[in-house]
Amino acid sequence: MRPSSLLALLTSAALLSAAEDGAQVYNTLCAACHGPDGKGLNGLPPLVGSEWPKGPAERSIKIVLNGMTGPVEVAGMTYNIDMPPQGAVLSDEKIAAALTYVRDKFAGGAGAVTPAQVAAVRAQTTKRATPWTAAELLNAHPFPPAKTALKNLVGMMYQGEWKTLPDFSALKPALMEDFNAGVIDPAQSGLKDHFAMVWTAQFEAKEDGKYNFVFDCDDFGALYVGGERIAEIKGIGPVGGRRKEVPVILKKGLTPIRLEYVEFAGHEVVVLGYKGPKDKEIKWLSKTKANAPKPRVSIPIEAKDGVAAIYRNFIDKTTPRAIGIGFPNGLNLAYSADNLAAELIWTGKFMDGGHHWTDRGAGNEPPAGTNVIKLSDGPGVALASGEGSVVRFDRKGEGKEWTFSAVKVAAEFKGYDLDAAGNPTFRAAGEGVSLTDAWIPEAIAGKPGLRRTLKSEGDRPVTVVLARDLTSEGADGATVLGGSLSLRALSGPQPKAADKLLTVTLKPGETVVLGYSFR
Amino acid sequence: MKHLTVIALLACVAGLQAAPAKTPKKGKLVPAEAVKAAEARQSEFYERVEIPTPAGEVCEVGSIALLPSKKVAIGTRRGDVWVVEGAYDADLSKVKWTKFASNIHEPLGMFWKEGSLFAMQRPEFTRMTDRDGDGRADRFETICSKWGVSGDYHEYAFGSDPDKDGNVWAVFCLTGSFHSHAPWRGWGAKITPDGKFIPVASGIRSPGGIGANGEGDVFYTDNQGVWNGSSSLKWLRPGSFQGNPTGNKSYALADFPAPPEPQSGSRILTERLKHPAFVPPAAFLPHGKVGNSPSGVGCDLARGKFGPWQGQMLVGEQTASQVQRVALEKVNGLYQGAVFHFLGGFEAGLVPVRMDQEDGTLFIGGTNRGWGSRGSKPFTFERVRFKGRTPFEMRAIAAKLDGFEIEFTHPVDAAAAADVENYALDTFTYIYQSSYGSPEVDQTEPTVKSAVVSADGLRVRLVVDGLVRGHVHHLVVTDVKSKSGETLWHTEAWYTLNELPTSVTSLKLPPVPVDLSL
Repeated sequence: MRPSSLLALLTSAALLSAAEDGAQVYNTLCAACHGPDGKGLNGLPPLVGSEWPKGPAERSIKIVLNGMTGPVEVAGMTYNIDMPPQGAVLSDEKIAAALTYVRDKFAGGAGAVTPAQVAAVRAQTTKRATPWTAAELLNAHPFPPAKTALKNLVGMMYQGEWKTLPDFSALKPALMEDFNAGVIDPAQSGLKDHFAMVWTAQFEAKEDGKYNFVFDCDDFGALYVGGERIAEIKGIGPVGGRRKEVPVILKKGLTPIRLEYVEFAGHEVVVLGYKGPKDKEIKWLSKTKANAPKPRVSIPIEAKDGVAAIYRNFIDKTTPRAIGIGFPNGLNLAYSADNLAAELIWTGKFMDGGHHWTDRGAGNEPPAGTNVIKLSDGPGVALASGEGSVVRFDRKGEGKEWTFSAVKVAAEFKGYDLDAAGNPTFRAAGEGVSLTDAWIPEAIAGKPGLRRTLKSEGDRPVTVVLARDLTSEGADGATVLGGSLSLRALSGPQPKAADKLLTVTLKPGETVVLGYSFR
Repeated sequence: MKHLTVIALLACVAGLQAAPAKTPKKGKLVPAEAVKAAEARQSEFYERVEIPTPAGEVCEVGSIALLPSKKVAIGTRRGDVWVVEGAYDADLSKVKWTKFASNIHEPLGMFWKEGSLFAMQRPEFTRMTDRDGDGRADRFETICSKWGVSGDYHEYAFGSDPDKDGNVWAVFCLTGSFHSHAPWRGWGAKITPDGKFIPVASGIRSPGGIGANGEGDVFYTDNQGVWNGSSSLKWLRPGSFQGNPTGNKSYALADFPAPPEPQSGSRILTERLKHPAFVPPAAFLPHGKVGNSPSGVGCDLARGKFGPWQGQMLVGEQTASQVQRVALEKVNGLYQGAVFHFLGGFEAGLVPVRMDQEDGTLFIGGTNRGWGSRGSKPFTFERVRFKGRTPFEMRAIAAKLDGFEIEFTHPVDAAAAADVENYALDTFTYIYQSSYGSPEVDQTEPTVKSAVVSADGLRVRLVVDGLVRGHVHHLVVTDVKSKSGETLWHTEAWYTLNELPTSVTSLKLPPVPVDLSL
């Protein structure tokens, strides 16, 4: 056999096994989420159409070694799912093979990755114990600036203070420049406040059809396509609420486009993008990419047919063992089963399940309504004299040196009953203490309110915290907490105020009835 | 070029082109294809049926409980509890769903007892009762809430059915699956009927389900991650350290002995021989091949109504949408055994696995929200029944001092079964380390020296040269048919060989500790 063919045979054998290895690693370990076709399975991020696996190999290698966490935008969609690290599972050779496979098959031939490259990144990141965030990776390895559809983009800057769009034909620009990258950015003015910019360009339409333009400003402006004003944002204000989406029919080729923009003061933002006939996601013409607050899935939870709604999950501004109740009369409550206290009261919408019921549902969800009053934090029930009998362990300290600290509290959570209208009676008990805490929607002094009945059994007095660290003032025969929540003592022992702490003490067998309503 | 050198180079090339040593010499099946081929045969032996869920409702099933009168209760990830009537019927168009409770906090583990439905929720173990008979729960009693909940979504709690003493066993996932930021994260405990919390074992990472075998010993699945080279089925032996030291600090909360601080970068066998409390996984579910995200744990105690698997464990697999079968034995006081692929093709990622032992129906529930799965539906509720025709399978594998004994479900064709060429073995283990997962390492290839078929044809005794204590032994059987000519439904097994059976053992397990309750 001739030496050259032997060499070819040897080389191809090595390459063949590396290629097989890459596909095999991908199909065994990656395809479960990213899909055998790289398009993402079951709403998980794709590799096809994504910038992430393209460009510098380093970025891809880092992701595979240490994983990713937190929100990340992939091909125009935002995901918030953890990717587990594979650095301890896969060798440099396997990672190189898998990434070479991915970049070849899904990333438009973005170039092979070698084991030496993987080893180098591994050596640089040995101390890295946690997954990367999108921001960290893009800081170190940004995506290339996109080539936009704006050709011959010219920007003219004007100095002045305007609250409405001026007549630019009567003004002289202070600055005029070409922006060959074709990206619109108010920072190009060099100013923060009191200026205007006018950008003109030729918009290149790849084909005939409908183009949906997205336009928004902080503070205000107008968009012209083909010489016609198609959208205007008026007044001083932020982006988001005034965003415009306008369809325009264009012919293949160049169409003049003009954007007038005025920044009065504060933030300066311009959002301009479009979706052509074949585009699945918005293509941005401005530096700011403002994906419409991605239809954050909304799953409203409300009282129905006169029955209160309930929601046990992580509610923001109270403790993890939170129980939310949404009453049919528009009043809502969050009870903490950790602190045995009604911690939040609010009006309006109850809760939105969309956060916790999408993806992995991480984090706390705030009440969906308005006027949220945080009544207290910390233990809500104490013995009038002496230490409690129930030991609770809290974590003290941060970092690696944290410890447990034991706290003795008067009682622990024993559950709740619901009546036919879903109204709760919470129960707590400890040595010598048994407390029930019932809530019913009722008109209080002519307003929608909640009637709260606290009842104590046992052999010793118990003190219930009604409010802590809230402003409190007397008005209309009630105590007004936090400026808007009226608390009335309807019967039983009177609440006592001392040092921003409002409590009521019940002797065994006593009942206290309180009425809550918003002014 | 000299002749000899050319031959050497050619041999070198041949070596390069040879497939990795794991494939059997005679076998042609590559594992992934074999799994697909087996899935295609499933309907010969088992019938899998989707049970319709109420229109417009999201039923990401996390718990399944069996109720009297052939009713079934479902707990969803959104916290709804439903009572289902008609789930056993042939005609599923009449299935009726009634809501029992709404939006409780992620129940993972539910059962019916003494007129109430009990649920292990994220923050507490709860008894739910419908006192006024209107079909909806109106009394919710917190039986126990002694463990820490810091607000991290990964802090799941899984609960078992009650044991013979009425105690419920629970396992608590680590914070973020990496840390232990609250009391008892990374621990297992039993909860008495009156709510006492008794810690039983430390060293847990990220369970996906919990269940007992016929002896009342409790098992759970623990997912690959830090200190877990691969996912596995573990025995929750009271007094044990299960391998992950992240949650160790909690021992200070009760008089539990301090768990070991093991060495990272070592091997489980090495470390457990230093620390007698360290109980190894009963069966590894090798990552990527068997387990990816194992979940619910069940046991077939249906005495043949579900097939010839009496006493064997059924393990849900979320990512691959499968149920796998684990045949365990006890050697020198430790559980070990083989995992086999079993059922597949479910419509979403599996979480709970619930066997009706009287009826022989297996219920499974699924969801793929937040984690990928092969099954593409967002959620599912299904049942599986045995059609009555016993598949030709390796039923179980027993470790011997010098090999293995394979027990088959039908008598084998003696000639093929006695041919050592039809058995291929390779072994490997994982690095026991603080980083996330591990590759397979320390690979060896034992030799099957002989294969002797028993007189009744149901067992084949392999004598093996090169068993490795502490390793997963991967067995592939090819071309062994039953006497009646059937091919094996599944041809692979992975046996975790923690112990070699000897008449004298130096292994000393610590005594089960006296109950120390909070």
